[in-house]
Amino acid sequence: MHRIGPKWLLACALGFSLAAWGQTPTHPGLVAQDTLNAADTAWMMTSTALVLLMTLPGIALFYGGMVRRKNVLNTMASIVAVAALVSLLWFAVGYSIAFTPGNPWLGDGSRLWFSGLNYLKEAGKVAVSHVAPNVPESVYAMFQLTFAIITAALIVGALVERMRFSAMLWFTGMWSIVVYAPVAHWVWEPGGWLATMGVLDFAGGAVVHINAGVSGLVCAYVLGPRKGYGKEPFKPYNLGFTMAGAGLLWVGWFGFNAGSAVAADGRAGLAMAVTHIAASAGAIAWMLGEWIVRKRPSLLGLSSGLVAGLVAITPAAGFVTPASALLIGAVAGLACYWGATELKRLLNADDSLDVFGVHGIGGIVGALMTGLLANRTISGVQGDVGIQLLGVVAVLLYSATMSALLLWVTKVIVGLRVDDASEDAGLDISQHREQMGT
Amino acid sequence: MLPSEKIAIAAHLHVLLRRKTGRVTDTEWMASNADYAAEIVRFARASAEKDGHTDLGEWAAKLEATLAPTLPPATIAEKFIGVASTALPNDANQHRYIRGIR
Repeated sequence: MHRIGPKWLLACALGFSLAAWGQTPTHPGLVAQDTLNAADTAWMMTSTALVLLMTLPGIALFYGGMVRRKNVLNTMASIVAVAALVSLLWFAVGYSIAFTPGNPWLGDGSRLWFSGLNYLKEAGKVAVSHVAPNVPESVYAMFQLTFAIITAALIVGALVERMRFSAMLWFTGMWSIVVYAPVAHWVWEPGGWLATMGVLDFAGGAVVHINAGVSGLVCAYVLGPRKGYGKEPFKPYNLGFTMAGAGLLWVGWFGFNAGSAVAADGRAGLAMAVTHIAASAGAIAWMLGEWIVRKRPSLLGLSSGLVAGLVAITPAAGFVTPASALLIGAVAGLACYWGATELKRLLNADDSLDVFGVHGIGGIVGALMTGLLANRTISGVQGDVGIQLLGVVAVLLYSATMSALLLWVTKVIVGLRVDDASEDAGLDISQHREQMGT
Repeated sequence: MLPSEKIAIAAHLHVLLRRKTGRVTDTEWMASNADYAAEIVRFARASAEKDGHTDLGEWAAKLEATLAPTLPPATIAEKFIGVASTALPNDANQHRYIRGIR
């Protein structure tokens, strides 16, 4: 996510203090306001809005269009509720766990309730994060908040059409604190244990996509299949919604990846370019795969393929060349097509909207190819497939184990599934007493 | 039958029941939940018989008629005839969304 390199690691190891040394900070703190970079700040604020747009309404439309008519509003309500809930939890707890030094496993409590995110006009001081010293910490915390939101929102795709709304809230809320924030700390906080080992994850291939994908798969297994799964056709309500959502994701992803440069600089520009190239390659690769296997290219295939390409370039965006992005996008498009079709049958889980097939597989492909293709001339770091694999396995195991545990806790608190009659009637009516218009 | 037509019947029955028996019902739920609708039909018929409200009986019959075809034709075929819509011209589309949408 950030320009983690030898200088960062050295600074962390020596424990230099921002105030005492005036050099690379190792923990959040106050700096003079004139040390901020206005262009970086403006770009980060823009990126924050773009990433929020990916969830609201991007994911809501993307997912809402793929479920049956009777569950569209429940799916959209789930995304909105997750966005609001995770925002409050990030403000209260998540940010402090993820982005304060603490220890290699967890941050400390110095930023609980966003405490210390000060702007002191009279004193001419403003708080900055050691991870993004050129922008106000309030902006950086908000940028990261939108990542926490979208990661939890992605999981919704695996559990739609049968999970109680209250259970979904309990699970995603707990997951955001217990799974997302620690994993973000491991990978993105310079002192996190995976970061110090050299795992490269520019914008969240592991933290966001593998994490959400694996958790979605566990949700699908624990919840069990929807009634009629494998016997009845589950016709998507409106694939036009899904395409509109995919378009918003594509545009918003420029904020996601280029914003993760944490600066309005050449690396951000390159991240934007490779993001677009990978999305295009993913869409074309999926389309061709589908055209060959099924004799027809589909709108859903194109929309899914572009997302696959975007997912896979996410960990690599600040480390690879445009030519590498083309390869990453193309491989991801085909791999995710396989993941959402053949692998899905092999796994025998009703992952309703293929969260694992697209985000899990795409994230794994991207993480490993980052190790293979990371270019030292761009970032100053060399990729290592073995280290990347370690990161993948660590996130995969932790996310799967904790997700299963949290689902069990949720089951004890409110139960997981709606009853059969409610599932038949649809979750729009049974959970919200609302209905789509005719 | 269109959902809007079901709602219209349910709304009519709702008004009649409110006026003639004092019972308050949930119109949207009546139009979407077969169990609830069946109970309202039973109650409306009982009231019609007991108090001589013939119009209640008529509208209960109309609501009852909406209950049978609650599933789309393809689903009925699969569930009750055991044929997976093989005779339908859009057979490929019927299978397209079984075991996943992609």
